[in-house]
Amino acid sequence: MNRVVGMMLLLVGASAFAFGTAVPEIDPGSGANALALISGVLLIARGRRNK
Amino acid sequence: MLGTERTPGVISFSEGCADSGSRAPSFNFSQQSPASFFTLGLPQRLGLLLLLFSLEWIPLSNLVHKNRGAGIFCQIGIASASIFLALGYATAASAFRQISADLRKASIGWWYLAGHAVALCGFITLSFLAASDSLASATAWYAAGLLSVAFGVSAFLPPNSVSRLIRSAGYSWLLALVGGIAASRLVAAFPLWNGRIWNPALDLYWKPAVDLTFRIVEVLLHLVLPVVVADRSTMTIGSPGFYVTILPWCAGFEGTALMVVFGVAWLWFLRHEYRFPQALLLIPAGMAVMWLSNAVRITALILIGVAGAPGVAIGGFHSQAGWIAFNCVALGFVLASRRIPWLMKTPVATRALSPGASHNPAAAYLTPFLAILAAAMISRAASAGFEWLYPLRFAAAGIALWFFRAKYKELDWHFGLPSVLAGIAVFAMWLGLDSLSGAHPDSLIASGLGALPVPARVGWLVIRTAAAVVTVPIAEELAFRGFLIRRLLGADFESLSPRAYTLWPVVLSSLAFGLMHGDRWLAGTMAGACYAFAFLRRGRIGDAVVAHATTNALLAVWVLTSGRWYLW
Repeated sequence: MNRVVGMMLLLVGASAFAFGTAVPEIDPGSGANALALISGVLLIARGRRNK
Repeated sequence: MLGTERTPGVISFSEGCADSGSRAPSFNFSQQSPASFFTLGLPQRLGLLLLLFSLEWIPLSNLVHKNRGAGIFCQIGIASASIFLALGYATAASAFRQISADLRKASIGWWYLAGHAVALCGFITLSFLAASDSLASATAWYAAGLLSVAFGVSAFLPPNSVSRLIRSAGYSWLLALVGGIAASRLVAAFPLWNGRIWNPALDLYWKPAVDLTFRIVEVLLHLVLPVVVADRSTMTIGSPGFYVTILPWCAGFEGTALMVVFGVAWLWFLRHEYRFPQALLLIPAGMAVMWLSNAVRITALILIGVAGAPGVAIGGFHSQAGWIAFNCVALGFVLASRRIPWLMKTPVATRALSPGASHNPAAAYLTPFLAILAAAMISRAASAGFEWLYPLRFAAAGIALWFFRAKYKELDWHFGLPSVLAGIAVFAMWLGLDSLSGAHPDSLIASGLGALPVPARVGWLVIRTAAAVVTVPIAEELAFRGFLIRRLLGADFESLSPRAYTLWPVVLSSLAFGLMHGDRWLAGTMAGACYAFAFLRRGRIGDAVVAHATTNALLAVWVLTSGRWYLW
């Protein structure tokens, strides 16, 4: 979990820095949704455990 | 409502609430009492201080316009404090940790907090009363402001602790002060955000790379269109009826850079699971795929425009397709690499657990929310402003909830009157903060609905309201309160009692919830905290869902009756 959270913080930081100037290739307004989606899928992907 | 059917071996929320975990040995945090919520170390106190000042900033920035240069001092203070904490921790980490440990034994300075409130009221009053710009009125105004800040800081960081921090970090305070002033002046002279210091769109410009994107798009278009217009001198490409200009900053640099960050971070955090150096090949591979996907995105955009939907091409698709591509490439990068023995020390394929011997508890909590997010990206990409495909979100959430319905029967869906009251309070807070923010962006919902035939208009509104009141509260509460709060406490989150919470999971999950609400992040964060307390009060997911549904229902009524579509 800490790894995923850490990764997302890095991504948020990098994207916030990179998208200081809004450019259209990747919409900064949708960043939170997109990062939440990828974080959630990664959490599920790593979430399988033995019964 | 679903009942509280109990399944052998599964500890439901209500059980964790009823006995506080004393009978269940698997409750790792069962010995913690809710009182531990208020044991605050240095990071927690700094976080609370930041939250307090942020909450006050919105009304203050709207009410106080004195133009006395206080903003510069705020900038210098924030920058200096940040530099001091970073430098101080780097040079005296053990001392900082000791101070933090000592702070855990101290309570919040409620009297200082009261002093802060009084000084703040004085500051606001002087802002209105001191009409003249005399030296005396300016001095009194500054004194009230400084006193308010000093009391606020002292409430969370007692003066003796601040003194210890400064003394233990040597001359860090001096460097921080110089650095803060320099940073303030630098930003004033060269505003970062207009690209005068660094503009990725321009500085990352590399002509051969842009030409490569242009060439790929041209090749792809020739596969589909009978006539392709391509002018490399102006970077214009498309069909005679619809064409676009590929600007340097649309050529794929951002997505590729994001992919590099993602790849490096992923490999670094999971460095013990991958084989090196061959795993490093994943980074250029990811970059190449991301670059190619951007060319595909531009091609698809042109084809959508050529097909007769230029509004969708330039509107929703243009802004959403980049993220869709990044998510697909990044997830493909992860999932594929984990199945290749040459790259992984223990590939997933070789350690896969049979369905009967394993389970994935996170899936039931997260999938409905993720389904909404994925559907939202698709429906926005298919819109030219008005999200006509919004029902897709409702359907996606409904399918996910139906798929995991057996799991949800294990949860406690009961609720009490306080959760309804909490929902009403959040609704009032939401409207209050919204009116204070003063930002009421134009909504395209009214015009979009006006263009629809009456049955479609009614159907869209019914589904939009049903989503707001039913699927969204369930999906978001399962994700943020049911899952995230306890997952931040431990990996085996289902065995943790909701009553064994500490401050950080509540703050982090509320912040994450707030960030999902864009410009309304502060209202979202506060709403998330209210729903968290509704959930944690008795450990019932039903309380959080009903509180959330109450807020959304009231907002829906407000929007539908007042026509303030921007609140949706």
